Amino acid sequence: MSREAIGGSAWTRRGLAAMGIFGLVFLTVPLVIVIPMSFSSARALTFPPPSLSLRWYETFFGDPRWMEAMWTSTFVAAISSVAALILGGLAAYGLRRGTFKGRDWAEGNFMAPLIVPTIIVAIALYLALAKVGLLGSLLGLVVAHTLLNVPLVMMVLGVAIREFDQRIEQVAWSLGASWGYTMRKVVLPNLAPSVFAAWIFAFIGSFDEVIVTSFIAGKYETVPKKMFNELVLEVNPTITAVATLLIAFTVLALAAVAFVLGRAGKLKETVV
Amino acid sequence: MSDIRLEGVTKRYGTFAAADQVDLSVTQGEFVTILGPSGSGKTTLLSLIAGLNRPTSGRIFIGGRDVTNATAQERNIGLVFQSYALFPHMTVLENVLFPLGVRKIGGAEADRLARDALKLVRLDGLEARRPSQLSGGQQQRVALARAVVFKPDILLLDEPLGALDRKLREELQVELKQLQRTLGVTTLLVTHDQEEALSLSDRIMVLDKGRTQQVAAPAEAYLKPANRFVAEFLGIANFVDLPDGRNGVVRPERVRFTAEGQGRPARVVEAIYLGQMVRYHLALDGNQSVVAAVPFLGTAHAPGERVSVSWESADVWPVT
Ligand SMILES: Nc1ncnc2c1ncn2[C@@H]1O[C@H](COP(=O)(O)OP(=O)(O)OP(=O)(O)O)[C@@H](O)[C@H]1O
Ligand SMILES: [Mg+2]
Repeated sequence: MSREAIGGSAWTRRGLAAMGIFGLVFLTVPLVIVIPMSFSSARALTFPPPSLSLRWYETFFGDPRWMEAMWTSTFVAAISSVAALILGGLAAYGLRRGTFKGRDWAEGNFMAPLIVPTIIVAIALYLALAKVGLLGSLLGLVVAHTLLNVPLVMMVLGVAIREFDQRIEQVAWSLGASWGYTMRKVVLPNLAPSVFAAWIFAFIGSFDEVIVTSFIAGKYETVPKKMFNELVLEVNPTITAVATLLIAFTVLALAAVAFVLGRAGKLKETVV
Repeated sequence: MSDIRLEGVTKRYGTFAAADQVDLSVTQGEFVTILGPSGSGKTTLLSLIAGLNRPTSGRIFIGGRDVTNATAQERNIGLVFQSYALFPHMTVLENVLFPLGVRKIGGAEADRLARDALKLVRLDGLEARRPSQLSGGQQQRVALARAVVFKPDILLLDEPLGALDRKLREELQVELKQLQRTLGVTTLLVTHDQEEALSLSDRIMVLDKGRTQQVAAPAEAYLKPANRFVAEFLGIANFVDLPDGRNGVVRPERVRFTAEGQGRPARVVEAIYLGQMVRYHLALDGNQSVVAAVPFLGTAHAPGERVSVSWESADVWPVT
């Protein structure tokens, strides 16, 4: 971006810089506080911690209810992210390559969960899942998370597909390769970094989800849902340990995405 | 190897006809060029023949077989695009092996065919490179090798040399022509470069707004254009009045300088030195302008100079 595009005066630029720094601090301070707190030896949430220990991690890993929530979250994220990857990938391909009537309408429909306020999606899913008898079931949870993450997958893969020259596919067809063979041998190998990125985003998206889950999960506890409930009941330092683990997991996953996309030279084209 | 026949091929997008009632017959082993300005429907026509698109109406035959509704996979066509469209994740050799693998040809047999094809386009030694490690000209040679390695019935080329610089383009034109002769494969080339069309093809088809304007041998289309559009699109056209009131076209190299008083008096407006030739833009008396192209023999007329020009009436071709 050129300087002129931001604004002519130096004051405008300084103001913007100050706002940017403030925003960054605002976003990182909670992380900076929560991580040392998780290693605290104190019984209550105090900052700075009086001395260091791993007791809250021990509590977390020793608590069968936390482990159960962990397992539920992992299971739902694993299945729903793969489902979202397949469905979102096919939808993105169809929308980018197809020239049928009502394409924009179809695209809007797929992207809706990203745009409509989550609380409305939650209510809609609550009613719909109740109607088909899946409310409070693991399958219902997987279906809901899949639906929520399809737009994410479509965004990431849509960009990648648009940038992949369609004529490469057309040549493959003309050389005699079927659609499926072309997909496996030509398209997917070239889109692999973006497919990996989309899968990670969908996995994190599901693992982090709390609003819709609170509405429809019934007796099932996922990690973020349990964190929220614990916070409401009593302030327990265990959740700082959970939060730290989630932060570490997210940072590692995003670093893996950045590494894979960067190696494929695609970093600047995919909006992370 | 096969012939191609188009019968009344039309492709509509809404009410707009990108190809409009196109008829064309390409005989076995012939090299035909589709020539037309941007947006005239050249790529549309090629993609219909390749099976990447279906015509709104009309029929397409390859080797006498009606392929109008056949898929691209069933047509056995070699296809080359301006953008090369190589498989980026495969080596040169793997790219050329691809169509053989699809046809269940493998092992030593496939290897031999692929290496032969690469030798044909003078790329032996670069088998292990990836497309990103090749120059534009080399990439296009890989695309050509990949398109001919499986002995396709016909070869379709969409502006294959369009992305290359002039010198390389001329070099590859010669190679392309030789390759086509060696293989004897029926070839349809798309270009908007009239020189390329004139130098490569047995016949050219001039297209405008989705409609055929003329199908003829290069020399015939150049000297006997079917209409004004063809006359202007193929090189420079001087339009002159005929005694019967019609219009005629004279090509610049048919315009001669004559001794004063023998031809029509004119003033030199511009003299453009082109190497072997000099091109003169002349203003005839009576507001008409004419372009003359004469061999450069050491001296040239200067702008502003008064000259006389003439042409044979046999060199004037009437157009509507
Ligand atoms: N999918 C489509 N939908 C609507 N119009 C199209 C479509 N494809 C092509 N056209 C139109 O058809 C006309 C012919 O396009 P085509 O690509 O065949 O031109 P071309 O002769 O190959 O041009 P160029 O030399 O620029 O490649 C153009 O006006 C184009 O806008
Ligand atoms: Mg084109």
